[in-house]
Amino acid sequence: MSKGMNPVRRQFLSTAGALSVLGAGSPLALNLAGVGAAAALAAPADYRALVCVFLFGGNDQTNTVVPYDEAEYAVYRNARPGIARDRTDLVSLGPVAAQGGRSFALPKELAPLATLYAQGAAAIVANVGPLVVPTTKAEYRNAAVPLPPKLFSHNDQQSVWQSSDAEGGTVGWGGRFGDLLATANGSPTFTAVSVSGAAVFLAGQQILQYQVGSGGPVAISALTGNPFGSPRAAATLRQLLTATYPHLFDNEYARVTARSIDAAAALSEALAGAPALTTPFPDDNPLAQQLRMVARIISVRGALGARRQVFFVSQGGYDTHDNQLGTQPGLHAGLAAAIDSFYRATVELGVAGSVTTFTASDFGRTLSSNGDGSDHGWGAHHFVVGGAVRSGIHGRFPVVALNTAEDVGSGRLLPTTAVVQYASTLARWFGVPDASLTDALPDIVNFGTRDLGFLS
Amino acid sequence: MATEAGTSAASDRRAFTKAAGQEHRRQTAAAAAAIAAVAATDDASALPQLFGRQRISAAQAARFLAQATFGADDRSIAEVIATGYAGWIEAQFAKPQSLHRAYLESVIDPAQPQQVFRNAVLDSFWTQAITGADQLRQRVAFALSEIFVVSQLSAPVSQRPRGLADYLDMLGREAFGNFRSLLDRVSLHPIMGLCLSHLRNQKEDPATGRVPDENYAREVMQLFTIGLYQLNPDGTARLDGRGQKIPTYTNDDVMGLARVFTGFSWAGPDTSNQRFFGGRADPDRDVLPMQAYPQFHSLAEKRFLGVVIPAGTGPTESLRVALDALFNHPNVGPFFGRQLIQRLVTSNPSPAYVRRVAAAFDNDGRGVRGDMKAVLRAVLLDPEARSDSSAAGPAFGKLREPVLRLSAWARAFKATSASGAFRIRDTSDPSTRLGQAPLRSPSVFNFFRPGYVPPNTSIAAAGLVAPEFQITGETSVAGYLNYMRNVISTGAGGDVRSSYADELPLAADPQKLVERVELLLTGNQLSSSTRTAIRDAVAAIRADGSNAALNRVRLAVFLVMASPEFLVIN
Repeated sequence: MSKGMNPVRRQFLSTAGALSVLGAGSPLALNLAGVGAAAALAAPADYRALVCVFLFGGNDQTNTVVPYDEAEYAVYRNARPGIARDRTDLVSLGPVAAQGGRSFALPKELAPLATLYAQGAAAIVANVGPLVVPTTKAEYRNAAVPLPPKLFSHNDQQSVWQSSDAEGGTVGWGGRFGDLLATANGSPTFTAVSVSGAAVFLAGQQILQYQVGSGGPVAISALTGNPFGSPRAAATLRQLLTATYPHLFDNEYARVTARSIDAAAALSEALAGAPALTTPFPDDNPLAQQLRMVARIISVRGALGARRQVFFVSQGGYDTHDNQLGTQPGLHAGLAAAIDSFYRATVELGVAGSVTTFTASDFGRTLSSNGDGSDHGWGAHHFVVGGAVRSGIHGRFPVVALNTAEDVGSGRLLPTTAVVQYASTLARWFGVPDASLTDALPDIVNFGTRDLGFLS
Repeated sequence: MATEAGTSAASDRRAFTKAAGQEHRRQTAAAAAAIAAVAATDDASALPQLFGRQRISAAQAARFLAQATFGADDRSIAEVIATGYAGWIEAQFAKPQSLHRAYLESVIDPAQPQQVFRNAVLDSFWTQAITGADQLRQRVAFALSEIFVVSQLSAPVSQRPRGLADYLDMLGREAFGNFRSLLDRVSLHPIMGLCLSHLRNQKEDPATGRVPDENYAREVMQLFTIGLYQLNPDGTARLDGRGQKIPTYTNDDVMGLARVFTGFSWAGPDTSNQRFFGGRADPDRDVLPMQAYPQFHSLAEKRFLGVVIPAGTGPTESLRVALDALFNHPNVGPFFGRQLIQRLVTSNPSPAYVRRVAAAFDNDGRGVRGDMKAVLRAVLLDPEARSDSSAAGPAFGKLREPVLRLSAWARAFKATSASGAFRIRDTSDPSTRLGQAPLRSPSVFNFFRPGYVPPNTSIAAAGLVAPEFQITGETSVAGYLNYMRNVISTGAGGDVRSSYADELPLAADPQKLVERVELLLTGNQLSSSTRTAIRDAVAAIRADGSNAALNRVRLAVFLVMASPEFLVIN
């Protein structure tokens, strides 16, 4: 097997081997020269994790954080025939000093997030979206400044949010944070973990994401014993699965499989020694089950030698062109229940202050209604949850009306906070040194504020 | 041996394909010359005749069938050898279509809610994929279902299995028709109308500020016809004076086109408001094209892509003008053609290959634009698709998507269904099954995107795309192997099994056994070291043990299907 392994596989094994000999607390940077720039940074001693909850389809922000003062609510309601939430179905967050004392509310399905907000464990960042430079409506209209590629397109904006590039982008900011801090970890394998399939968010320049299912790692059964009664089958299978191949696709498939074998073994062993997680997660909630797996991995961070981890989970179905009032509330209920369970699990594990969960989505949606739904927009409001959060509504909450300074058509919001600012705030908390911020988030140089203050 | 193949699999690969070339050289020399001539002139129309005259090896036939069908079997290999590639394609064009809707109607009990029968759509899909005589049509319909995507994961679609079966039939019918008609049928199918929400879409209402739903207008341009950027005829992006790609449309175009897709809803004998909104349901509304309701159609001026539909134009005429404009956009040939090549042949076709297919789209040789048969001939008979030398290239081909791995097994080994209904069922779970199930894409963006680049790989470094890698991860690769181990022994869904009747007689001769499995599943694309390793593992099963013959066959199949050289179609 060893002859067929490429350097990445060898690196993983040598690291894992070193880990078992030296223990999780030993400095392992010497074994990780391949992680490149990371070697330049001092390895932090504490644990921190970022968890991206991606809301696929474009969550309608207008029905996610709703103006609650009577006059503003009336404008909101009039702007959305057929898709406005009743005021009686809203849970007030109270007046928000940072927004001039205006009051806001969440739909009742997000009540667990309102509770976390009241407890100081959840914050809202208003009107965030991709921007290359600070942009005014006139500049947008006249294309006077560079704009993000392919606005309003699902797949492209998913990619832009995660990587600043349209579809086909190959480096995401979560992965770059991982690159920069991977020396903190005994093994690079569990630095960037997706429980929701391939996500460019987690792709670094060196770091590869590890994909695991909600049920945990899957071992290849035929690698043990005598499958089909052949004493040579398991060894032959291993050799076929992990060899190097001259065809690029053959070889890449074998690389994935080799990682699968090694990582499943390491993670299964670690999880086997983990104490049971007692916090309940709802069974019929796929996002909750993904987050439960994240919590389980965090619970064995010591055994994995992990001090800095970035996770990706997701929930789909937010493309509410129609039947929005029938669809979005159920999704929100699942979202809030999942995040609430996860936050409680981090409290149980004693890492609430070390784990920050944040939402992202393709885009926001139009304020205008098409009768029973809304269309693709741009800026949107997002949640940040964790013990390190500074509660409140950060950024600038727009006036919810048509023809405002932020309305670029049908109430599509021109963002007043850039994704790179949102990301750089997370990066600084995560431990990315200021000097490396522009490396991970090149466009941050175009913005004055690099820390939006929603994390302490 | 166990430590040897790891490296020698790499180096021997080229040697083997070279040997394969020698094997076929005599028969294919004339064809190669003809292909070179065609490649030089880009005149693919000459190919059918050329190929029709060449002797085709079993391996070449199997390789062709891996592209054009759900998998090679003895009969189809013999057919291709007998008739040639082009002759086989023409024969397939003439075959009657196996209809999914007819199957659904045979099993649906009107006394029960239709959604109870939603699994029957998958059953019908697998029945035809595995046993259908109209393989090319069913295979292309599957490819089209990954471009014009609807999904059973959408609740309204899940509730209408008869409608979904009809949608798949429609794709199969139009697969050999004309793209303009395909576009019309896709746009008006109620299942698409439900998925992309233009069914029941209403015109603007200035009094309330209501605007038309933009969903279909956007996706019909981005995904179904012209794409995001202006293309050259070879599929490469046109660049402006500053070297930037040129967008095909703006959001204003989306909003203008959105007005066209207002005022369409359920078919029925009248156009009442009640019917528009879903009342008075016609029993056949799930399978009848949506009809126009003029009272809900925008009569405002409609501007998009430089087209102006004057104010006052009704729904039917507006739709005709809009679809004509999309159909005649110069992007369609390269945009659609490239994706069809990716679905059937290779992830990274050369610009010249795309250009030849786009040219066939633009003109079938008789002045007809959008002739799907001409496009399919161009895709499957192109020198780049057919030549042994391109197959041996280090980046040619595509990762076999999981549905096609299972179908390849079932066809190669003549699997039968104990229930008669091919109850393979939902194979979506990547941890325990295939990580993909037909007609169950998570969104209109399909299971994977045509432009997907697996990050941090040599594929990315080479500037290539690999769509199917988007659903390939550490969990799915393990889930696939565990699932197939079970399928090979006990059947898919416990129902679709092979007796390996034609392989068991070879069990005493592991070399011959592996060669047969390799031919059927890969068209002889295994390296000699892989073949040797598999043969030796098979031979290690004692011939006098219990179930030895069956175990040898099953292990040979399993190891071939585990090999990256099977998983990638070259």
